[in-house]
Amino acid sequence: MSYMLPHLHNGWQVDQAILSEEDRVIVIRFGHDWDPTCMKMDEVLYSIAEKVLQCPSVKNFAMYELYDPCTVMFFFRNKHIMIDLGTGNNNKINWTMEDKQEMIDIVETVYRGARKGRGLVVSPKDYSTKYRY
Amino acid sequence: SFKAASGGTGGAAVGAPAMPLASPLMGGLNKKKKPFLGMSAPLGYVPGLGRGATGFTTRSDIGPARDANDPVDDRHAPPGKRTVGDQMKKNQEDDDEDLNDTNYDEFNGYAGSLFSSGPYEKDDEEADAIYAALDKRMDERRKERRELREKEEIEKYRMERPKIQQQFSDLKRKLAEVTEDEWLSIPEVGDARNKRQRNPRHEKLTPVPDSFFAKHLQTGEKNTSVDPLQGQFGGLATSFPGGLNTPYPGGMTPEAGELDMRKIGQARNTLMDMRLSQVSDSVSGQTVVDPKGYLTDLNSMIPTHGGDISDIKKARLLLKSVRETNPHHPPAWIASARLEEVTGKLQVARNLIMKGTEMCPKSEDVWLEAARLQPGDTAKAVVAQAVRHLPQSVRIYISAAELETDIRAKKRPYLYGLLVSFELEEPEDARIMLSRAVECCPTSVELWLALARLETYENARRVLNKARENIPTDRHIWITAAKLEEANGNTQMVEKIIDRAITSLRANGVEINREQWVQDAEECDKAGSVATCQAVIRAVIGIGIEEEDCKHTWMEDADSCVAHGALECARAIYAHALQVFPSKKSVWLRASYFEKNHGTRESLEALLQRAVAHCPKAEVLWLMGAKSKWLAGDVPAARSILALAFQANPNSEEIWLAAVKLESENNEYERARRLLAKARSSAPTARVFMKSVRLEWVLGNIDAAQELCTEALRHYEDFPKLWMMRGQIEEQSENIDKAREAYNQGVRLWALEKMPYYNLKMQNLILLESVRLEYRAGLKNISNTLMAKALQECPNSGILWAEAVFLEARPQRKTKSVDALKKCEHDPHVLLAVAKLFWSERKVTKAREWFLRTVKIEPDLGDAWAFFCKFELQHGTEEQQREVKKRCENAEPRHGELWCAESKHILNWQKNIAEILVLVASKIKNTF
Repeated sequence: MSYMLPHLHNGWQVDQAILSEEDRVIVIRFGHDWDPTCMKMDEVLYSIAEKVLQCPSVKNFAMYELYDPCTVMFFFRNKHIMIDLGTGNNNKINWTMEDKQEMIDIVETVYRGARKGRGLVVSPKDYSTKYRY
Repeated sequence: SFKAASGGTGGAAVGAPAMPLASPLMGGLNKKKKPFLGMSAPLGYVPGLGRGATGFTTRSDIGPARDANDPVDDRHAPPGKRTVGDQMKKNQEDDDEDLNDTNYDEFNGYAGSLFSSGPYEKDDEEADAIYAALDKRMDERRKERRELREKEEIEKYRMERPKIQQQFSDLKRKLAEVTEDEWLSIPEVGDARNKRQRNPRHEKLTPVPDSFFAKHLQTGEKNTSVDPLQGQFGGLATSFPGGLNTPYPGGMTPEAGELDMRKIGQARNTLMDMRLSQVSDSVSGQTVVDPKGYLTDLNSMIPTHGGDISDIKKARLLLKSVRETNPHHPPAWIASARLEEVTGKLQVARNLIMKGTEMCPKSEDVWLEAARLQPGDTAKAVVAQAVRHLPQSVRIYISAAELETDIRAKKRPYLYGLLVSFELEEPEDARIMLSRAVECCPTSVELWLALARLETYENARRVLNKARENIPTDRHIWITAAKLEEANGNTQMVEKIIDRAITSLRANGVEINREQWVQDAEECDKAGSVATCQAVIRAVIGIGIEEEDCKHTWMEDADSCVAHGALECARAIYAHALQVFPSKKSVWLRASYFEKNHGTRESLEALLQRAVAHCPKAEVLWLMGAKSKWLAGDVPAARSILALAFQANPNSEEIWLAAVKLESENNEYERARRLLAKARSSAPTARVFMKSVRLEWVLGNIDAAQELCTEALRHYEDFPKLWMMRGQIEEQSENIDKAREAYNQGVRLWALEKMPYYNLKMQNLILLESVRLEYRAGLKNISNTLMAKALQECPNSGILWAEAVFLEARPQRKTKSVDALKKCEHDPHVLLAVAKLFWSERKVTKAREWFLRTVKIEPDLGDAWAFFCKFELQHGTEEQQREVKKRCENAEPRHGELWCAESKHILNWQKNIAEILVLVASKIKNTF
């Protein structure tokens, strides 16, 4: 379903997208449209969002350590919002979120935290056990 | 609800699709095309860097996610530390001995020196020198060839990529041909932009005026009107701002009419008022909102992190209105204080809760909260206040106990609370409770005493006995027992109890502390238990004092008792002292002065009777007795006392004269005359003669007076007063020559003998008189110089200084008075002069102050009293005038220039002090 979502093709576009919004959370999925993990993720994202930006292949976006097939990150007013998911990596979600409602909850938490000026929010659900077996 | 991702602005426009296939969701909405979609990045763009983002490191095994040139997180780092690379370099420098594998090289070993931490010794230096020499040699070996090669390489490189400077070198050569003038006439570039472009203006933002909204509402669709009586505040709150933001949402009832912004504001206020009044009037039965529940809501609203400022503000506002609408509602105050406490404004919280305690003094919770919020000592004060307001609150006592740190102190609040609760009970119940309490807590003296207070006499005795068995070391029980006996009329038991107390306390190893016992005695005195007080004093007063200190210590004790107002104590102490020292005149004197000041006339006379019995030689005691009788109007009794005094001291001049005075004051002149004749024969002293002369003189028998005077002068020709009298008598009968002769003779005789002793005082007076003489003659200059000289000769003479102050012109008087005060600050004349100065400046309060000071420092100075009296007559109230007269009578002044002129005048010989005072005061002219 990735064709339903706006695409960003290079790092500059990503930066512009992040800069362009004043009071909304930017959710960016880094990855390739053909990647099965990304496909599942896109399905969820599309179903919940009027707007999610995705970035298929920005190889040179070095600072975000994009080693995983699919990475979802949150930004608010040009600030990377970290989220404590219980996995040890607070920077991003690098797996597929299968449940729609869970994703909604996470985005909502991110929004609330970011509005209060927090840089790190705590996810409503702990993903450590679920993701690793 | 999915508010988060869309930012909560409702159905706002969303960005355009990046691809031709648009999402159906976005289709129908107003599109704002994102301009960057589909565009390519600028050349050499580093993603993230453009918006100042920094990366992060989560997986250190892969290596840092940052490039060496990336900026560090600290945006204001000093130069040289601004990139990640710099920081890493610095880290490496920091740890010199980094023996990591990455630092190891197969050939060279570790990068740094392995031994850099050791001391640098001489052999190290030598080795370094050898290495350096080797390096130098190796360097020189192929130096020429190497340099040549480097040069060639550079040239080759320059050929390929010439420097800009070299590119223009051919053009620059022509610059040599440019003349000086041409060079100077090259035009300036200038700024081609116009003024507006050069000075960009800041963007201006102006709020949209209400008229704008109103116009648009008229032209377009209408919003719902706002009805304040509708009471649908929820609807109001949501519909209206939403309508303004997204201008014309559909589905609303169109309605004609204007939108009045002012009315909207009013409506909101009305709604808030309605809501709050609904909250407050829970009595009227119309409440929809339960105040308690409302406050609980407010409580739950208090944010724990102090994060959301708007929440706090809202809570603060709501609590404020609750406080104002219903100030006697304790939870409102508590909630407000807690809110401030949570937000960290502790002082504000304290102020609030203290105000709360004022508004709701009967609320235990408010007091407890106040005690909790206040620090240490203040908390104790708060609890003390709380106890006053709510003596029955158990929780307050508990919190008071918690505030105390050591165990003994902790007990006190409980005990106090217990006692208070007993007092509040019916006596019968309290008695039962207390008897149980003493069973549980037999070592508490307070409980025993409280129980004894409540019991009947018989039972109280029993209780106290029991208490004594339980606490054999406390004196209070004994003293209470003594008081009990006294109150029930067994005065003879009191003494016995106190004696037994001392012996039993001693037996139990208690040290008898005299001061404490005396204090107890004073308390007994204040409580009205005179017998107990006396018994205690008798028993204790001699304990722990050396023989020779006795008198001294007792007198001091008596004085301190008087100062504390415990008169019975003092009396008891004097009585004991008199028993021990019956023949000491000084003790009798002190005791009688005490009685005179604090006792009744009867007690004084009784005491004096005993006194003269023990010390018949003490004339003062006799005289005091006589005077006391005389003042009471009992002249015959006074006479009989004086007769007894004659028997005891047959030739005492004092007693003779006292008797004469008594008679003459009571107009018994014949008796007085006879007495004086007798005195002249038995005790022919100068004073007796003088008094005789004076009596005749004042009675108008000039001849007799002169006769007596001559006779007296035969005996005492060096007594100056006699000569003076003689002179005055002659003066009065207008024999000036004779008078002068008398004075001359007197001066001659007196000067021969006493001159050397009176030198200084004489000098002062002579100087003063010379100054006055000149002043009277109108020669102010001379009088001033004379005064200056006089002050140089006698710089410590108060009279001179006082005169000098008023010799000055008005503006200089103040400085002069300061000088005078500096030189002789304890001289009554100077103080009087200062008082007069203030008086002349109409500074009434200050003048009064200084007058009081003067009469305090020298109550014998009649002039001061006279001036004071005059002052009060002019400026004081009737009360103050009376006070001055009374004090003057008590002081009985006898000296002073003006005073003596009046008091010694023969016409005023029978006048009392108050009359003389008025007389002198009326003679004073305030011309300063």
